[in-house]
Amino acid sequence: MIELRDVKKIYQVGDEEVHALDGVSLMIQDREFVAIIGASGSGKSTLMNIIGCLDTADEGEYLIDGQEVSDLTEREQSILRNRKIGFIFQQFNLLPKLTAFENVELPLIYQGIASSERKERVTAALQEVGLGKRIDHRPNQLSGGQQQRVAVARALVTRPSLILADEPTGNLDSRSTNDIMDLLQKLHAEGNTLVVITHDNDIAAQAPRRVQLLDGRVVSDTAEAPMTGKGGAV
Amino acid sequence: MKISQAGKMAVSAVLANKLRSFLTMLGIIIGVMAVTLLISLVQGATNTVTASLNDLGGDQLVVSVTGSSKHLTLSEVKAYADEEEIDVVSPVISGTGTAKAEGNSTSITISGITEAYEDVQGMDISDGRGISENDNDYRLKVCVIGYTVANDLFGTTNVVGETVRISGGDYRAVGVLEEAQETLMGSENSTVYVPITNAQRLLSQVAITSFYAVVNEACSTDTAENKLDSLLMDKFGDEDSYAIVNMADILETIDSVMATMELLLGAIAGISLLVGGIGIMNIMLVSVTERTKEIGIRKAIGAQKSDIVVQFMIESVVISLVGGVIGMLISQGILTTINTLYPDYGFTITAGVGGIALGFSALVGIVFGIYPANKAAKLKPIYALRHE
Repeated sequence: MIELRDVKKIYQVGDEEVHALDGVSLMIQDREFVAIIGASGSGKSTLMNIIGCLDTADEGEYLIDGQEVSDLTEREQSILRNRKIGFIFQQFNLLPKLTAFENVELPLIYQGIASSERKERVTAALQEVGLGKRIDHRPNQLSGGQQQRVAVARALVTRPSLILADEPTGNLDSRSTNDIMDLLQKLHAEGNTLVVITHDNDIAAQAPRRVQLLDGRVVSDTAEAPMTGKGGAV
Repeated sequence: MKISQAGKMAVSAVLANKLRSFLTMLGIIIGVMAVTLLISLVQGATNTVTASLNDLGGDQLVVSVTGSSKHLTLSEVKAYADEEEIDVVSPVISGTGTAKAEGNSTSITISGITEAYEDVQGMDISDGRGISENDNDYRLKVCVIGYTVANDLFGTTNVVGETVRISGGDYRAVGVLEEAQETLMGSENSTVYVPITNAQRLLSQVAITSFYAVVNEACSTDTAENKLDSLLMDKFGDEDSYAIVNMADILETIDSVMATMELLLGAIAGISLLVGGIGIMNIMLVSVTERTKEIGIRKAIGAQKSDIVVQFMIESVVISLVGGVIGMLISQGILTTINTLYPDYGFTITAGVGGIALGFSALVGIVFGIYPANKAAKLKPIYALRHE
């Protein structure tokens, strides 16, 4: 479970203060699938950085599983990112010189997990995303959709509390987009907590709960009964 | 993260940029080569010089009498051997003369010696014997001939039993010397050794002008030198009339000169290692900038500061250490080549020098890796992730 209480983030641009986040309060329960939508400049990237512990709030509180993040040292934040958060980026952000297997393995290496267990878990994660046969390919030998699958496998291999996807389909064609969204739906159905940040209403529509941001504030938070299919009503 | 994992990552990063890694290593290769080569060469030279001086006698005192109204007689010199501090004395009278045989004639150095000479100063007899006590006691007209003299007179070294005419007296050759190297003290190749009692007549000189004294093992050369000094002072009453050269002192001086030289050359060569280290730092900084995105990704998925530091540190240590090993191998190759060409020296990289060179190159990798590695580790993940 994650909880934001009146979170503010202020950037200094020249003489002017820009309130990227201006008092955001949000609670996301375990097993939820939430889309955070907003135009560019609405503060959704800043929110994603804070939720992902890549950045800290200037004011307000942010708790993951009851733990206040701003109280943590840099080292503890690294551990928290490693164990509780799985990132999926628009740019895939795989390491180009590592194979699919090695990319997925990396967070487990940082956890200090033994190689036999790593192998098992990485293989399972790659099978889960449908890439069981491409484990020795490097990112440049894979299509965009396949690369994003590797990234999804890397996010879920640590069994995180939260999978955080930032425009996960932004660089994909429509077919790969559908594939990835199907995959995310599947992960949600299996009980993972998902937060997808997007500017695309079609993507957002697939999430049971949608939070809209505007100028650093939450302007709407609509939930509907859990759906099983994709492409629900806007 | 385990070190073995970090090592694997570092090696693959080094191999990913082979040319660049090699050029970076080149600085260390040259540095380590310079250090090991120069020090090994100086050490080899020192050992050779020291060994040849040791051959001359490290436990010996050399006394020379430099003009005085008073003379040192043979029996007086021999009496010095009775002193507790001195084991043996070996007096020498020398001068020049002419040797004739079989119609050939050559100019020679005549050395009058006692039986002690063979052990003290050293003689390499290839055939026959040296000068004995008996020869001196009975003033036997025998001689031991240097290599060149034998060849000049007889055209062969097979001359034991032949007669040589030295400054008007007929001497029977009882021994021949091996061909000797030219030394600091001149060559024995053109010397003819005769009993000292005969030399006194041949050279019309009774006074002993120089002698070697071998110091008793149980006592230091300095003590013996002091003792001898007081005896000679009693005799001559003037410290300018004689000089005592302590071979141990000379050895020590040479050793300390060579040690200074080694340090100096090592330090100069060390500067090139330093320059190599700066090269590593430079390339590591470039590498950190190039791989900002990678660092961001690693941090986002949970790499700690220490993971990043270790990764970059190992990378720089791998570069410097591999460079160090290559440099050592090249040095060893060069020294082996030199040894084949000049077998007298036997240059080697001693374990100490090798250890210091490798230790130093690893240290260079650590020292010059710290800054880039910390720079990498300090990057904020959001900044690094946005970097293209």
